[in-house]
Amino acid sequence: MNIESFISERRPVWQHLDTILKRAEARGDALSRDELHELVELYRRTCSDLNRVQSNTANPEILGYLNQLTGRAYRFVYRAAHETPVWATFKHLISTEIPATFRRERLAVAAAAAAMLLGVLFGAAAVLIDPANGRRLIPPMFFTERPRDRVDRIEKGSERIDNVEKALFFSASLYTHNIKVSMLAFTLGALTIIGTILLLFYNGMILGAIATMYILDDVPLFFFAWVGPHGALELPAIIFGAAAGLVAGRAFLMPGNLSRAASLRRVLPSVWRMLIGTALTLVCAGIIEGSFSQFSYRVFPYPMKIAVAVLLFTGLMGYLFLRGLGDEA
Amino acid sequence: MRELTITTPEHVNIKLEPAGSGSRFLAVLIDSFITTAIAAVIYSVAVNIVPRLVAAAIFVTASFILTWGWHVYFEVKRHGRTIGKRALSLRVVDARGLPVTLYQSIVRNVARIVDFLPAFYGVGALVNMLRSDRKRLGDILADTLVIRESQPLAYRGELGAERHFNPLRTPRALRLIRHRVSLEEREFLLALCLRAQKMSPAARYDLMEEVAKTYRQKLDIEEEAISGENLVRDLTAVLFSRMR
Repeated sequence: MNIESFISERRPVWQHLDTILKRAEARGDALSRDELHELVELYRRTCSDLNRVQSNTANPEILGYLNQLTGRAYRFVYRAAHETPVWATFKHLISTEIPATFRRERLAVAAAAAAMLLGVLFGAAAVLIDPANGRRLIPPMFFTERPRDRVDRIEKGSERIDNVEKALFFSASLYTHNIKVSMLAFTLGALTIIGTILLLFYNGMILGAIATMYILDDVPLFFFAWVGPHGALELPAIIFGAAAGLVAGRAFLMPGNLSRAASLRRVLPSVWRMLIGTALTLVCAGIIEGSFSQFSYRVFPYPMKIAVAVLLFTGLMGYLFLRGLGDEA
Repeated sequence: MRELTITTPEHVNIKLEPAGSGSRFLAVLIDSFITTAIAAVIYSVAVNIVPRLVAAAIFVTASFILTWGWHVYFEVKRHGRTIGKRALSLRVVDARGLPVTLYQSIVRNVARIVDFLPAFYGVGALVNMLRSDRKRLGDILADTLVIRESQPLAYRGELGAERHFNPLRTPRALRLIRHRVSLEEREFLLALCLRAQKMSPAARYDLMEEVAKTYRQKLDIEEEAISGENLVRDLTAVLFSRMR
């Protein structure tokens, strides 16, 4: 085969295919019916050209070019027809898929929750045995003053968040930070499993230690009113995100008789739904934490804040455990 | 670097060439420059309309959405190419050669947070360099691949200019060439002739003599009078002439 004349003969076909692909790529998606037919035909011709070139030359330039061209066309011709309108997908995600995934992956969720709970118990026990342990467990940046002093300062002094602007900014910083933390928890879990378990245990331990210190210092109501409203959403969300990491980690590290890639592909639908669920819940939690949680008892009395916390928690649990329960069978 | 081969239903093998960490790093650099610039513009507009702290809240949210949403949007809606990747001829594809799905894109971009540790692309670059398919952690978890696409064809048909008298045009030499010179060698010889002008004279002489020595043995050429370069050019001319 004379490669030079082959190239000059077939070049128009390739260039035509390239033009169509470029146009389609620039426009996002839609190809007209005629263009699609043309694309498929040109794709087939280029395929057979690639085949011939592969068996007749080793020239990297021509091989590279045809590989690239055929690969691009291949992705158009054989793309999986999974695309649905974004809004409908989103509605379906919220109304059925997230709770269903939560229930399907309940083992991973339970494991993540258990890791955090163990941390809480460990932290609480450590402080109960010797209150000085609190200082050893809690990073210094969280431990600036005694709980009772802090309560006095916050409840007697001026409000920390006294206008909408401050609340908005504080909320935005909180939820972006929290989402990043749960992304980290997810990825650590997906790669090592144990990383997420340790992260959950550590955070639970700090929470347990701080809670116990407030209780020992005789200001428990303040603590629960302060952490409760956002914690009711935030803690489950982080557990949920970490559970997504455990699901992916199990698929990745223990693929059984599947290949790692195939095993990961199988859990992908669960994992991304859990991640979206986590992010959305954390946005809500961040907004509450940036505003409602910060007000003193003069604005919102403790019972009211605790009632809101209980309401949010039962609402979230009701949604996760009961929503669409009948539809599944 | 390992090429990945995908067999299409038409039984054609398409080769995907994984992209190295250097170009990928550069692409991310371009993308983060653009997203930062957009967020900065949003802030400077917002700060003139709403109170400063609200503008800051908008900035925090906007840069968060831009940082994480930018890649997902372009990977899913723009055929695997962000602006930075496009500038460097890179593309994100499913490791089976299909387009990336929304789910894969979300997972590979969430994992970016670990790939970016401890600073701008630490873990990711390390994993990338250790693997022959050049995947970073996010690519492993989502089973995706960043490939390098070849530039449009700039095929030069020009050959090593043939001398008027070519000592290799004897029936015996032609037969030996036909039997003993492979396709790969043919391409190698062409590339050598085309690049010879750019080499330093000493390197060019040494390389040509070295190559010619191999072919003297291979093709049983006893004539010592021809220089290495002339022999290589004659051989290339024979290989590419239309009278084969």
